[in-house]
Formats: sequence, structure tokens, C-alpha cells
Amino acid sequence: MSKFIIQVNGSVYGSSASYSAYQFTQAALAAGHEINCVFFYQDGVLNTSSLNSPASDEFDLTKAWVSLNQKYSVRLVNCVSAALRRGVISKTEADESKLPHWNMQSPFEMGGLGELVVGIEKTDRLVSF
Amino acid sequence: MKKLTIIFRRAPHGSPHGREALDLALLSASFEQEVSLIFVDEGVLNLVKAQQPELIGAKDFIATFGALPLYDIDTILACEASLQEYGLANAELTIAPSIVTPSTIREQLASADEVLVF
Amino acid sequence: MILHKIQTSPAQDNALSTCLRYIDKQDTLLLSGNAVNALLLTCWQEKLSHITVLVLEEDIIARGLDERLNQYASISYEQFVQETLRHEKVISW
Repeated sequence: MSKFIIQVNGSVYGSSASYSAYQFTQAALAAGHEINCVFFYQDGVLNTSSLNSPASDEFDLTKAWVSLNQKYSVRLVNCVSAALRRGVISKTEADESKLPHWNMQSPFEMGGLGELVVGIEKTDRLVSF
Repeated sequence: MKKLTIIFRRAPHGSPHGREALDLALLSASFEQEVSLIFVDEGVLNLVKAQQPELIGAKDFIATFGALPLYDIDTILACEASLQEYGLANAELTIAPSIVTPSTIREQLASADEVLVF
Repeated sequence: MILHKIQTSPAQDNALSTCLRYIDKQDTLLLSGNAVNALLLTCWQEKLSHITVLVLEEDIIARGLDERLNQYASISYEQFVQETLRHEKVISW
């Protein structure tokens, strides 16, 4: 079995890349491979807003990532600086910046870009979407 | 330690790709990875001198290319064919990349552990 | 041996054209998302004729193109995972 790190750069709704990343991650986990983490960078951080509210007959990708985490305990990590610039904020950053609202919650987590670099170092393959 | 190659293929300022690529390059180097950069296609426009991105509300990350030697990022390649296409073959650039043919870039891609494209 | 992954159509982005400038003869090209649309155009069919091309099955079926593109090898996500391991690395353009 092999170890992967998945990088998601595409936005949750504006591109098909995120859904493709989700399908790939699911297939890799189902085949018994290990995913170090799914790292959300660039517009990929938009996948992790809990305020994403697609219509009821549309695929809810944010929920799908959460389900994948529940089933396989795969880590879902945001690049914090990419997220803050795009209005994706956890309670911790909201408190620090004295903002009244926040939209990212567990099981998504904030991490530095270093998590991507360390992840690449530890795994057999990086696959970006 | 892994050999990471970061490709700049898009023009600066119209999208944050170039800046996010440079962030990743510097961070990877500070995490002791062996980092190399390749400028191809419209990405060679990152190398144009005397840019003033603040005029269009963008951050001047171009100035940060000057810090690459401090991070021991020494392998910096620019595609000769792309520079020619954009009329930069003889231009003075912000940094001095090695100007190489597509086949040298092909070899660089083959020798890297991972390649990230921005 | 590299697996080059393209996910945008050549009408959207020049990822495919950039990739072709640097791809090696022994590498594989995987087209996913709108990138599969390139295969409908004669100019790209010719440019890709000497390269091993794979397409993601779900993407061509979703677009109603599976019969039109049936001369290309299509793979499932499960096979996509295997291909990433069969190659030394994946470059996502």
C-alpha cells in the first residue's frame, strides 16, 4: 500500500477539479492506500466553508469531504494564509482578529503551507487537482 | 529531503498563482527541500524588470525573487522558446535564470521527485 | 516515466500545449474534466497521435462523448490511482 498527499487548488463550485480530487481520494482510500492529508490551497480553501449551501438537488461537496473524514479519518487541512485571504476563517482566527463570524469548523483544520511540504516529503505521491 | 520543482506557467498579477508559487518555493526551501524553479510560457513575464504591481492593487511579490539566493534556491531555469515568443530573449531580467531549451526542462522534470505547476 | 494530468480544455487554458512542449516520448498523458474535449478537434488528435493518451471514463460519459472517443483508452478512478503509482510522479498542469 502506498501513501498519498492530495492537493486541491480548484474552487468548490467554480471548477470541476475539486470533485475530481474527491473522487480520487475516495478511490485511493477504498483501495487501502493511506492519505497523509487532503491539503486545500489557492481557491481550494473554498471547499471548507461550512456556509456553502448548494440547492437541495445539487451535490454538496463540503459535506462529502466531511463524510470521507468520518469514514476514513482522513485529515482535511487548509492552508491558513490562502484561507484567510478568501474569507475562510476558523473560530481561533476570528477570535484573534475580533471578527464576529467564522465559517470553518471541525473536521477541517487550519495548517501552514509547511504541512504540504512535510506531507510531500513523507509520502510516495503528490496528486494535485 | 526531496527534490521539488516548481513551474511558473502563468503571467503575474492577473491571478495569484505566481505569488502562491513563490510562497511555496521559499517555504519548501526553509523546510530543507531541494527546490528548483522553471519559468515557461506566459510565466516568463514574472521575470520582466521594473514591474509596479501596486498600481493595480497587487502585492509586489516580484521583488521577493531577489531573495532566492538567501534560500539557497540556485537552480532557476527559463525556457528559451518562451522567452523568444514574448520578446524577452535579449532583455535584462529581474533575476538571472539559466536560459535553457525545452529538452533541458524535460530532463529537469524527469529528475525531480515532485513537480508543482502554478 | 511521468503521468501528465490535464484538466482544462485547450479553449480554456494552454495547459495542454505547455505540457506537450515538455512531455517525453515515454510519458503518459491523462485527460480529465474539460480536457477530454481536446480529442474532438483534429489539430489536437494529430498532435497527440504519438503519445499514450488516457481519458477519465466518468468525464467522457458525463459529457456524452464516450462513443465519439472510443478509440482512446478510458480509465476509472480506481485505475487512475494505479496509474499514479505505475508512473514515477504525476504532474498536474
